[in-house]
Amino acid sequence: MNEILLSNEVIVYLLSETVLYLLLFVAFLATVGLLRRWNFDLFTTEQFALENRSYLVMTIIFFVMLLKVILLPYFVYTIDKLSDLVPGAMCAAGVIKANVYGNPLLALKIIILFLSGLWLSMNSIDIKAKNYPYLKVKSWFFLLIFFFLSVEFFLDIAYFTHIETTNPVSCCSVIFGQTGGANGLPLGLDIPKLLILFYLLFVLVVLTVLSGLALMSIVASILFGVIAYYAVVYFFGTYIYALPTHLCPFCMLQDHYYYVGYLVWGLLLLGLFLTIDRAVMQYFFKQSSKNLKRISLLCLSLFVLLCSTYVAVYYFKNGVLL
Amino acid sequence: MPGNMIMKNAFLHFLTLLLFKQKGKHIGAVLISVIIIFLLSSVLFISSSLQKTLLDTLEYQSDFTVSRVQAGKSVTTPVDWVDKIIEINGVTKVAPRIYGRYFFAPREESFLLFGVDFFDEQSSKVFESLVKEVDLKSFLTTESMLVGSGVRSFLSKHYYKENFSFKTPKGSFKKVKIEEVLPSQSGLISNDLILMPIDLSREIFGLEENEVTDITFNVPNDAEWDNIIAKLHLLFYDIRVVEKREIKKAYENLYNYKGGLFLILYLVTIVTFMLILYQRYSMVYSTERKEIGILRAVGWSIKDILKLKFYETVVVVFVSYIVGVVLAYLYVFIFDAPILSQIFLGGANLTNHVTFVPVLKFGLLGSIFLFYAIPFLAAVLIPAWKIAVTPPKEAML
Amino acid sequence: MISVENVSKVFNEGTAQAFEALHAVELEVSKGETIILSGVSGSGKSTLLSLIAALDKPSSGKITIGGELVSKLPDLHASAYRAKSIGFIFQHFNLLESLSVEENVIAPLINSGLDIVTIKEMAAKSMDRAAISHKASQQVKELSGGEKQRCAIARALVHEPELIICDEPTANLDRANSLKFIEILQSLYERGKTIIVATHDPLFESLPFVGKVVHMEDGIIVNREQGADQSE
Repeated sequence: MNEILLSNEVIVYLLSETVLYLLLFVAFLATVGLLRRWNFDLFTTEQFALENRSYLVMTIIFFVMLLKVILLPYFVYTIDKLSDLVPGAMCAAGVIKANVYGNPLLALKIIILFLSGLWLSMNSIDIKAKNYPYLKVKSWFFLLIFFFLSVEFFLDIAYFTHIETTNPVSCCSVIFGQTGGANGLPLGLDIPKLLILFYLLFVLVVLTVLSGLALMSIVASILFGVIAYYAVVYFFGTYIYALPTHLCPFCMLQDHYYYVGYLVWGLLLLGLFLTIDRAVMQYFFKQSSKNLKRISLLCLSLFVLLCSTYVAVYYFKNGVLL
Repeated sequence: MPGNMIMKNAFLHFLTLLLFKQKGKHIGAVLISVIIIFLLSSVLFISSSLQKTLLDTLEYQSDFTVSRVQAGKSVTTPVDWVDKIIEINGVTKVAPRIYGRYFFAPREESFLLFGVDFFDEQSSKVFESLVKEVDLKSFLTTESMLVGSGVRSFLSKHYYKENFSFKTPKGSFKKVKIEEVLPSQSGLISNDLILMPIDLSREIFGLEENEVTDITFNVPNDAEWDNIIAKLHLLFYDIRVVEKREIKKAYENLYNYKGGLFLILYLVTIVTFMLILYQRYSMVYSTERKEIGILRAVGWSIKDILKLKFYETVVVVFVSYIVGVVLAYLYVFIFDAPILSQIFLGGANLTNHVTFVPVLKFGLLGSIFLFYAIPFLAAVLIPAWKIAVTPPKEAML
Repeated sequence: MISVENVSKVFNEGTAQAFEALHAVELEVSKGETIILSGVSGSGKSTLLSLIAALDKPSSGKITIGGELVSKLPDLHASAYRAKSIGFIFQHFNLLESLSVEENVIAPLINSGLDIVTIKEMAAKSMDRAAISHKASQQVKELSGGEKQRCAIARALVHEPELIICDEPTANLDRANSLKFIEILQSLYERGKTIIVATHDPLFESLPFVGKVVHMEDGIIVNREQGADQSE
């Protein structure tokens, strides 16, 4: 355990998370104060001070979210480097599974980023109005996010302090692969059906976004996200690794594959986030933004293009598919 | 054109204005930052460079090294073990080795003396890079050796310029010619190293015909490793098995450990630094408060001021970071890090003149950046907010 | 266009040092009118000005300007309002000392979305009108009182605001510069701007374009007089 904690990346990562959590705690206290005493109609010095304090909260959340966006790939990078120290792990996949905290931590991080992004969008609408209409909603929402953030912080520490360097872990081919004979795909899908779903859902997302059907686009995005994950791990990934049995979402993040993994997952997550964010803003707050819509579709399209290109390139180079 | 857009952007224009005209405000922070980043980067550059060098040499090493132990200490290993080991399934390239420390008695300095079977593919591979320049033919006809630069200078100091006479345990002297000096890039490994043909080394260490120091071999299929270790212990009750993967881990942890210690030191420094920063930016100088009040009075919103403060800080962070890292790079990889390198190499037997191999990993640079930037920005955030919410009436006073 | 209704302002409320700077002030200002607020320092003139300019918020009452309820605006709107509609000339000039004249004049427009070239053009025009163009690149630190005043004027007018507010503008000027200032005010009046000046300089009260003179004492309006300008 000591070696893990003394590895440079883990120290930097944990330090960063701690600093950010401290700031978030300040924001939490300020938000509680806001909820208790906010009354826009009052003209007291206290109310004016509260308005200032709401700026503190939004500044902290903005800053922290920005850094968490950077810390997420850094977290994955840290884990990847740890694979040298954990026996049996060849990439981040093995290290994530080193204890029970790994997977929930990673999933939670992504969820938190999505929620924080939504918060910031909501905030920007709120401050543009003349009477802070969403202040209470915003604040309660942040309290919820802060709860998740606290869990994340706890998991951060729990995860890194419980990685054994003595017990071997499985590597990705065991975790994801068919070596056990099990089919990892959900609902009994096979590859062709998965691919059809993948492209169909992509088209559905594009259509719902362009035609402004907010709720539908949220549903379509979430479905697409899930299917895309499986599609990347079980199909497109194999073309990145040029090996039909290599199923792993993390190996593509290594320098071996030119770090393309960051691009693949980054585009997918960004595209999904923007789509869902815009849809939520449109549905609940009647705010739409043409530009952001376009960017979200661009991200998703690039993502699909990138994945498909790997397949196409392989096919053209070798004349057959894997 | 984006270039034009940046030039025409009023906000950036104003930001640059302010930064230039108020340089003094930030000089202190930049200076301390540069020092911290410089030290941190140097430490990390040194450790990763050393690590790379060590790991590179490890590449050619065999997967396993076995020796005989007696009373917990390694003693000479019987050569006939080789036959038994070859028989194990999955084992390849079995090679016996002779090496040890030779003590130059009057001064108690020692060299690492390695006997290499230059005709054996496996053994010679390890030293391939070191002996690249050597004319093997002439080297092997006379009794000669290759020495590292530290050895060479030591011997010269004691007036051994062309040959050196080793004292064997049997009491006789063996004169050996100094053929070549090992290249300086391998400084770390070869500094106090002597390479010579294996039979010569056997003579010098006084080993019998059937004795070697240890035996190395490879096992290509890593799934078999644990199996083979078990078999070895069954074959020989007094065997010690050392695995390359253990050494690799040890090397990685070696500098991790030292590097980690340094990082903890930095944690303390960074925390102090943060406190200082917070203090300093918090001492809302009345001039800055008044200035921000003026901007607020002419129509700057809190958001605008925050944007200004944020970009101001980001510029300070980036400038300090780049300057610090570049200085560290020059210090470590161009000037070979005087002083710091001694701390790291922990005073080896002979004075080490090490050249650090430039190793620049994106991840390393990213780590340094995060380690510095996040505490810095966090420390400045609350003071920046405090000042951004300065009521515009402050300007009226 | 400006409507001040039953406005009060209390400082340090709830503490022992609570102090009522304004009490139930009522004021109407029409578009294009010039108003003088007179009274000794401490009478509440500056406070009233800062409330009208949305630099501060009242403790009670309403301030409406051009139909917009200015007294309760959140910061984003209040500052946008200041940046667009108000030109404030402070008693102590309140310039950024380390910057040049031009740089001070462009400050209000930085966040307006305009590009720097347009902004500099507007600044040049304004500095011209304030007769300070010849000192454009000079640091404010090195200017005389009168020059600083002109720089402050240029800054206050650079965005062509509808409402011009001056707080004791001639307090730190000699007579010659004071008269020059009044000239500028007159030209602004002629361009249809609404002007409010808080001053105890007697020069102002008999000006031909003044619509109303409002006397204040201890936070209340004690007297209103019609000024020389009868065009209502």
